[in-house]
Amino acid sequence: MDSFSSPSSGSSPQFSANEFRDQLKTQLAQAYAEEFLETLRVKCFDKCITKPGSSLSGSESSCISRCMERYIEATSIVSRALFKTPH
Amino acid sequence: MDSSSLNSPELMNFINEEKQRAMVAEMVAKLTSVCWDKCITGTPGSKFSSSESNCLSNCAQRYMDMSIIIMKRFQNS
Repeated sequence: MDSFSSPSSGSSPQFSANEFRDQLKTQLAQAYAEEFLETLRVKCFDKCITKPGSSLSGSESSCISRCMERYIEATSIVSRALFKTPH
Repeated sequence: MDSSSLNSPELMNFINEEKQRAMVAEMVAKLTSVCWDKCITGTPGSKFSSSESNCLSNCAQRYMDMSIIIMKRFQNS
């Protein structure tokens, strides 16, 4: 596993702190996004696919897109509630 | 990577900042999950009702109040 090795040509395993930082940032962003997608899958499957049929119905897929939008909105409501001055 | 660059204060700052950021992100994600389950009981509509969005916001704040009570209980014992 050498995901932290040099992105350029690979001639040398050494690279700068800046490169390290950029790679770390990218990997963190990917990890956050994957975790969020996984949450969306769990929450929206739970809400929208209550009785899995032989195919995804139109109402199920529109429920899924509404669910994703609402979950994103819920995330911003929660973070606003946490970081606004208390009471 | 030579180890001296790993010890640079700049990099340590960056890592500490990211740690903080991760803690905040984790808390927001956790509270959203908990409060979604509590407040959004029906199928998601095309917009939140005011009672749903108030519930989400109250839920997040009450969770923090509760966390403080739990923390104090164990600090004072």
